[in-house]
Amino acid sequence: MKEIKEVKDKTTRDGLRLDDSSVPLLPSLPLPRSLPLLWRKVLRMRFVRALAIWGTMLVLSPSVMAQTGKQLETDTPAASSALSHDLSGVWMQYPDGSTPGVPGMNAIDQRFRPPFTPWGQARFDAARPMQGPTAVPGQENAPTLHCDPDGPPRVLNLPNPFEIVQIPGRVFMFFELGHVWRTIWTDGRPLPKDPDPTWQGYSVGKWEGDTFVVETIGFNDKLWVDVYGSPRSDKMHLTERYRRLNHDTLEMQITMDDPKAYTKVWVNPPKLHKLEPTWEIAQWFCVIEEENAYSETIRKPAGGISTAPK
Amino acid sequence: MKHRACLSLKRTVAILGAALALISNGLAQTGKPSEAAKTQDAVAPLSHDLSGVWMQYPQGDVPGTPGMNTVNQRSRPPLTPWGQARLDAARPMVGPKAIAGEENSPTLRCDPDGPPKILNHPNPFEIVQIPGRMFMFFEEQHVWRTIWADGRELPKEPDPSYLGYSVGKWEGDTFVVETIGLNDKVWADAYGDPRSEQTHLTERYRRLNHDTLELQVTIDDPKSYTKPWVSPPKLHKLESGWEIAEWFCVLNEDKAYDDAVRKPAGVAPSSSKKYWR
Repeated sequence: MKEIKEVKDKTTRDGLRLDDSSVPLLPSLPLPRSLPLLWRKVLRMRFVRALAIWGTMLVLSPSVMAQTGKQLETDTPAASSALSHDLSGVWMQYPDGSTPGVPGMNAIDQRFRPPFTPWGQARFDAARPMQGPTAVPGQENAPTLHCDPDGPPRVLNLPNPFEIVQIPGRVFMFFELGHVWRTIWTDGRPLPKDPDPTWQGYSVGKWEGDTFVVETIGFNDKLWVDVYGSPRSDKMHLTERYRRLNHDTLEMQITMDDPKAYTKVWVNPPKLHKLEPTWEIAQWFCVIEEENAYSETIRKPAGGISTAPK
Repeated sequence: MKHRACLSLKRTVAILGAALALISNGLAQTGKPSEAAKTQDAVAPLSHDLSGVWMQYPQGDVPGTPGMNTVNQRSRPPLTPWGQARLDAARPMVGPKAIAGEENSPTLRCDPDGPPKILNHPNPFEIVQIPGRMFMFFEEQHVWRTIWADGRELPKEPDPSYLGYSVGKWEGDTFVVETIGLNDKVWADAYGDPRSEQTHLTERYRRLNHDTLELQVTIDDPKSYTKPWVSPPKLHKLESGWEIAEWFCVLNEDKAYDDAVRKPAGVAPSSSKKYWR
């Protein structure tokens, strides 16, 4: 029953990227011709994406999903040293997830979330996510609904591709969602002592054997760490460990140490990503007019998102 | 964040204040010596390397406005009827057409920025080159852009987007960037001049010496303008000690800024209010 509700509540921001070939199989949304072409296109695309994901989730039983996941996880770690210090490419997370009915989104895994602190609990109680057990249709208040910038670790968890580009002294990550980019300094500098809180935080990275370890501090507390409303405070110390298991497979393991929000360190199991050599990161900006219109035409009829002005 | 917010606030106040007060002489004079520093001692090893953080020189052509003449008002060709209607509907925050309290710039509700407007802003950008690609990182709105330099051609019929689709190649010591596939939702500059889906944008980058980058912008937009808009070259200075900071447009911060700064200054649009849920 949760799955069904989530289908209704599921919205654009966390849509899954699908090949265009899947489009003709799906019903298209009747849109007025008066809408601008792009607008119609985007709307249709997001709708199709959302439909495809949630339709698939309904059809596939959890056991099928689990099996798909199994197969992927047992991929042989044929790491060759030539690959190990090169993470370049467009990566997409495998869709196997640990929340029933939710594709992927388990690089940050709900099952491993430690107990909240009182501050963390208060934040979590105030959050009204678009999906998950605490979702209340019509009361959603995700910061991304008004196009606030996305950032780590949340943006790492969304089922959308990202690209890694390495240059001497720096690693860039480009996320399709929100067209966000991020710098990870690899020139040996230490983390800053007292950084100003930002959406992306301040990141440094270094190689430990075949693992690229990224440390980030200096976050603001305006974003959630996941789509379920789990909080992020300005005390968070985020660690990401990237390891290329073979040419096509990237393992990402996320650890969140946020003593203001959680009573223990939140250690997630590794999540596998697949190299997509032919993909290019597209422009997917959050635009407030489109977001509001989407709420009006899609989310609201589906029973979600209050459009009442606050 | 506070530091950045302060900086951006200072910058905006500086721009707005200067524009409002129309103090042109001081700025023009400050700009002069740097422009005079334009030297032609181009070094061959530099010519195919544009990497670095670049900041436009502050001398401008609009009285009281620092810089912002990469897209140059004085060279603007006559508008088509469509272009004129668009310009008439625009309520910019700066320039002769600005009407305090009626501003309707798309960026006031944090719509994404894009070229050529973003090239014209007095904020730094960084260029990073890797084989087959050039990246541009703009401090304003934390926008990044890809320019494909792997020999591919411009797409035949790209979907209109905020940043468009860009390819670039070297012609001698000049890196020529061609962009199409822009949408018509962003203005071409801060003054409300339109950008249509027919826009073919050409940017020519040339490193005159280690510290100086020349950028020349040509806008060929037959839907908006009766002739190509050819702007004179604009010089940029290498800022080797700078790093591009995180400066996002955030709707509630923008609204708060409206209430705290723009409104009291008499230039307050509260247009973002209606988008706030």
